[in-house]
Amino acid sequence: MTSVTEAISRNGVAEEKVTRFDIHQIIQHALLMVSFILLVVTGVPQKFHDLSISQWWIGVWGGIEAVRSVHHFAAWVMVIVCVYHLLYLGYTTLILKRPFPIKMIPSSEDFTKFFQEMGYFLGLRKEKPKWDRFNWREKFDYWAIFWGMPVMAGSGLILMYPVLATKFLPGWIVPTALVAHSDEAMLALIWIFLVHTFFNHFTPGVFPINTSMFTGKVPKERYHREHTLEYERLFETTKEKKE
Amino acid sequence: MVVGLSLTSSFTEIYALDENNCLLCHDNPDLTKTTTGGEKISLYVSEEVLNTTAHRFIDCTTCHTYEPHKAATPLTKLSLAEKCGSCHKYEYKLHLQSIHGQQLVYGNPDVATCIDCHSTKGDPHSVIRVLEYSAPAYKKNVAETCAKCHGDPKLMSSYGIVEKVYESYMRSFHGKAMQLGTYEITQLDKATCTNCHGYHDIKSVHDPGSPVAGLDNLAKTCEECHPGAGVEFASGFLGHKEASPENIPMAHYTDMLFTILLTTVVSFGALVVLMATIRYASNRWRE
Repeated sequence: MTSVTEAISRNGVAEEKVTRFDIHQIIQHALLMVSFILLVVTGVPQKFHDLSISQWWIGVWGGIEAVRSVHHFAAWVMVIVCVYHLLYLGYTTLILKRPFPIKMIPSSEDFTKFFQEMGYFLGLRKEKPKWDRFNWREKFDYWAIFWGMPVMAGSGLILMYPVLATKFLPGWIVPTALVAHSDEAMLALIWIFLVHTFFNHFTPGVFPINTSMFTGKVPKERYHREHTLEYERLFETTKEKKE
Repeated sequence: MVVGLSLTSSFTEIYALDENNCLLCHDNPDLTKTTTGGEKISLYVSEEVLNTTAHRFIDCTTCHTYEPHKAATPLTKLSLAEKCGSCHKYEYKLHLQSIHGQQLVYGNPDVATCIDCHSTKGDPHSVIRVLEYSAPAYKKNVAETCAKCHGDPKLMSSYGIVEKVYESYMRSFHGKAMQLGTYEITQLDKATCTNCHGYHDIKSVHDPGSPVAGLDNLAKTCEECHPGAGVEFASGFLGHKEASPENIPMAHYTDMLFTILLTTVVSFGALVVLMATIRYASNRWRE
């Protein structure tokens, strides 16, 4: 993760935008998003096979064989993205010796601020809590993948190669993988389209679309509003540098 | 282009063979007879149906004898298979070994005979070829055809057969792939009822000779499509039942665990979104 300090000094403080993500993070998110959407549009009709809309939709793709091929392809893309992310994390911290992104690690402060935010939503507080680089939702989305990916990829591989899987795993693993794959997929899909999309695109100030994850840049004013603590810290350091 | 045109224009309607002009009388929807028991039965044979049937070039007398009017009831459910078997000898031999055939020999009219699986309208005159898309025995339609009887709880209760076999098949990988696939024969390389249970010589699952009786037989049946599948693979089959504490408990408890997780997380997310929506809306309203 490129620290924002560097990014700002590279772009100049006078810039109206702050660089939040580097090119690797942009690529990782884009591929994750595309593969996720492909998996959803090819997976959901297989789960709800009884609906006539599913049957129509699978016909649009050219039949179940085509849908399954795309589903498998997108699954491999998603697995590769996750491996890419882990390699990227290892390379930037171990070889480039960048500081470990501790800001992503949940802390007790997050829980306090979470309740403060709920208090704000309920009208009990006048102000939203001030966040640092990541708010609780961003951390939740990030860490949820560490649970979701092993479940989805593990069960998906068992379903893709059931004969191979039962060579060294018990037979019940196949029907079990199916329920896990199907249920966990619904969880991920509802969370992403309900919570992730709502807070990242449909909240005041960003509606209708938040482009920061695609361009890597966030308008300065919004950065101050959404990541106040980090923004203030960055400005102080840049001021010091200038002096 | 010229050839194409001449080909299409040379198409003529195909008529069923009727050497003895039976249809002169029998193509009348009102033609009936009263049996000795006083029952009124229809003697109508639709020419339109006959024209598309698989046996349209086989004369009526082949099945109905040369003196059909002297025979009281030429063909009944119990005698039909024998009649079909006079030409389809191999299929008849297998049918006699099947649970359906054996029950017919005992005089049980509940079970399936030739036309129950091969005729679109359930009568011998509308038997069509298996490779026609609308044929009840066309692979895509097989499960539905079996379900005509095996999905009927009333009929199945007297035989101790799970009536949910059709539903559980449709829920399975095989059923989904079959349902979501097209009618193209090249896309029908998925298992349907007959792939595991057999067809003309179909056995009861309690018969040790059934391809699905016991894990060893089942594994061999799986291997026909899944090379290398062993007993362990076969043991993962839910047996047309839902997972339960007795039937593959791991799948049952995993489903429970994930359902709890799903409900909790989604409710939490929905609540946060709802609260945020109300707050943002009221912020806007106050402005």
